[in-house]
Amino acid sequence: MKRVYLFCSAGMSTSMLASKMQTVANEHNLPIEVEAFPDGKIGQIIDEKHPDVILLGPQVKYRYGEIVEKFGSKGIPIQVIDQTDYGMMNGEKVLKSAIKLLKAAK
Amino acid sequence: MLEGLETICFKIISNVGGARSSYIEAIQKAKHGDFDGAGECMKAGQEMFLTGHEAHFELIQKEAQGEMVGGSLILIHAEDQLMSAEAFKIIAEEMIASYERIVKLEEKLSSK
Repeated sequence: MKRVYLFCSAGMSTSMLASKMQTVANEHNLPIEVEAFPDGKIGQIIDEKHPDVILLGPQVKYRYGEIVEKFGSKGIPIQVIDQTDYGMMNGEKVLKSAIKLLKAAK
Repeated sequence: MLEGLETICFKIISNVGGARSSYIEAIQKAKHGDFDGAGECMKAGQEMFLTGHEAHFELIQKEAQGEMVGGSLILIHAEDQLMSAEAFKIIAEEMIASYERIVKLEEKLSSK
C-alpha cells in the first residue's frame, strides 16, 4: 500500500480532495491510500506514518522550500498541488501526478 | 444546498489560499532584501485574490436575489480563507515597507 498524504493549513478542503482521489484510486483497484492532514503535523506524520508521496495544498506553497530543506533528505517526493486542479477538485489529475512522483522515486 | 456550491467553495479556497501563500512569500523575499521579487509576489497574490473574491461575490449576488445559497462548513472555511488572505495582504504591505526601511538603515550604517 502506497501512502499519498496531502497537507494544507487546516486539512479541511484537502480532506475533500483526498477523498475524491481515494475514490479514483479505488475505482482502478490501485493499492494507494490518500489522506489529508494539517501542515503543522507534517513532521510527526512523516515519522509515524512514513508517507510515500507528500503533496502540499496551494495555501501552503510558501512553505515548500522550508519543507524540502527539512524533510527532503528522507527521499520522499514533495510537490505543491497545481492550483487549477485544486480549484476544480480534480481528484483524478492530482492522483495521476502523485503516481508519477511514485514512479520517479523508485 | 445550492448545486455547485462545493465547486465555488473550492474555487475560492484554491485562489485565496494561493494569494495568501503569495503574500507570505512576498514578506519572505522582502526579508532577504529582494523587493522586486516581493512586489511580483504581491501582484500575483492580488490577481489570485480577485479571482477568489469574484467567486465569492457570485454567491452573495445569488443570495441577494433571493436564491438560498445555504450554509455549510466548507463555505465557512472558504470565507475564513478569504478573510485570512485579505488580512495577510495588509500585513505583507506593512512588513515590506518596514524591511525597506531596515535595509536603507543598514546601508547607511555600513557606509559610515
